[in-house]
Amino acid sequence: MPSDLLHWPDDVLRRATWTNSPASGQRTFGRLLATMAACGLLYGAAMGSFGAVAGGSNWPLQMLYSALKVPLLLSVTFVISVPSFYVMNALFGLGGDFAVALRNLLATQAGFTVLLAAFAPLTLFWYATDGDYSRALVANGVMFAAASLASQRLLRGYYRPLVAGNARHRKMMWLWTGLYALVAIQMAWLLRPFIGSPDKQVTFFRPEAWDNAYLKVWELVVRVFS
Amino acid sequence: MREWLLQLDGLLRGEATSEEKLGEGLLGVSARGLAVIVLILAMIYGLCMGCFSLLKEIPPDLAGTIGTSDRVAQLLASMIKVPALFFLTLLVTFPSLYVFNALVGSRLRLLNLLRLLIASLAVNVAVLSSLGLIVAFFSLSTSSYPFIVLLNVAVFSVSGVLGLMFLLQTLHRMTAYYAKAEEVEDAAAVPEESVQPAPEVVLQPDTGGDQPHYSEESQESMPPPKERPAWPAALDMPKGQVFACHTRMVFRCWLVLFSVVGAQMGWVLRPFIGSPYMEFTLFRERESNFFAAVLGALWQLLSGGG
Repeated sequence: MPSDLLHWPDDVLRRATWTNSPASGQRTFGRLLATMAACGLLYGAAMGSFGAVAGGSNWPLQMLYSALKVPLLLSVTFVISVPSFYVMNALFGLGGDFAVALRNLLATQAGFTVLLAAFAPLTLFWYATDGDYSRALVANGVMFAAASLASQRLLRGYYRPLVAGNARHRKMMWLWTGLYALVAIQMAWLLRPFIGSPDKQVTFFRPEAWDNAYLKVWELVVRVFS
Repeated sequence: MREWLLQLDGLLRGEATSEEKLGEGLLGVSARGLAVIVLILAMIYGLCMGCFSLLKEIPPDLAGTIGTSDRVAQLLASMIKVPALFFLTLLVTFPSLYVFNALVGSRLRLLNLLRLLIASLAVNVAVLSSLGLIVAFFSLSTSSYPFIVLLNVAVFSVSGVLGLMFLLQTLHRMTAYYAKAEEVEDAAAVPEESVQPAPEVVLQPDTGGDQPHYSEESQESMPPPKERPAWPAALDMPKGQVFACHTRMVFRCWLVLFSVVGAQMGWVLRPFIGSPYMEFTLFRERESNFFAAVLGALWQLLSGGG
């Protein structure tokens, strides 16, 4: 099993047959889930280690929280977005392909966490060489953006046979990306802090967690231009 | 119940509105069963919509007046009001549609027309409730009332447009059947020696660029072509067909009427979400209108007053 955990991420990135094959069913699901959990935990722990270099108190607890939050962020976002995606697929005549599409999305999700995990050493290096909290936030934002962009390539690869069969799948792919991003941004805002400001106490949620990410950005824009 | 859910799935997938299933010019679904599904799904969406009232922040001056019972009452009210919104709008607009439909000589009879409208509502509410989880998520995590109002308006608009598209396309397929039947009747009425071969009305899936065809490369991960659905998607216009002009016009006018009445019905039945600045009431006083309120919420949000 531990040695498999090294093979599975590689298989996901190379789009090995088992990663979206209907034949292996539950075994595929288990493997992808294990890959997502392991890689998500790894990147989350790296993300939460900022306090270790910035002199924050109780940083191992922040590492633990962040390690739990990254898989939580990705899995809950996935679960919230899937029902609407199914209905849209069915309505646009792609319901028959939904099982294949779902396997593709799961495999891409696993690939996204693998990409994130690959950025963990970079994150640690950044923390070790630059102790500024704001820049740490930006650096992690860049890591997430880079992993998202790279996983788009993976998604396109997985979706290629579907798009070849029916061009509408391309639109559905974009719809999924939009839905997923819409929910994920708000979910990430709710689950913050992922990095943990060294000046603040370590908590799982911020006291003011229940707020809207999009409105915060809009308020920022209004403040800048007014 | 499972049977009704399968019927809804068949509608979403376009199977129930395929040529074979519409073979007798009838939509082969149970109006009663779909009405129950509409009721349940609309209640689920109402639950998602009303979630905002559970965690909304109450301004200090109203802190003592709004309690837990008010929040739960708003949730229950939303669960009742969303199905009521759809059924009451249908009730108000259905008679005019039926009358005008009959007036232009459409062959759609009362029960079949009702079945078609309930099916269209079912598609509308299915999309709505599928987006409900996202609405609930934002409702529970956002304190901005204008944001939630606009999010709900956007979700209702998307589901409404898709539901109405379904209605128009299904109507079109049924019209094609009637046109075919009419031609057969006309041919039968003409003396045998003068019968010319009637041009056949082709009712077949569009095999254009948007329709499924699978390359050999994709065979590995895809079911074989013979297992692919042989019908067009629920929102597709089958190739080479057009609406009957008068029926199309009546339905288009009715769609506008349905949308306007639906929007105003929503305004009359408000509050659905529950403003944090007001105490709970089952209905609010009559004032302003839906469109002015949406513009007001948009202005409030954009001016940073969320």
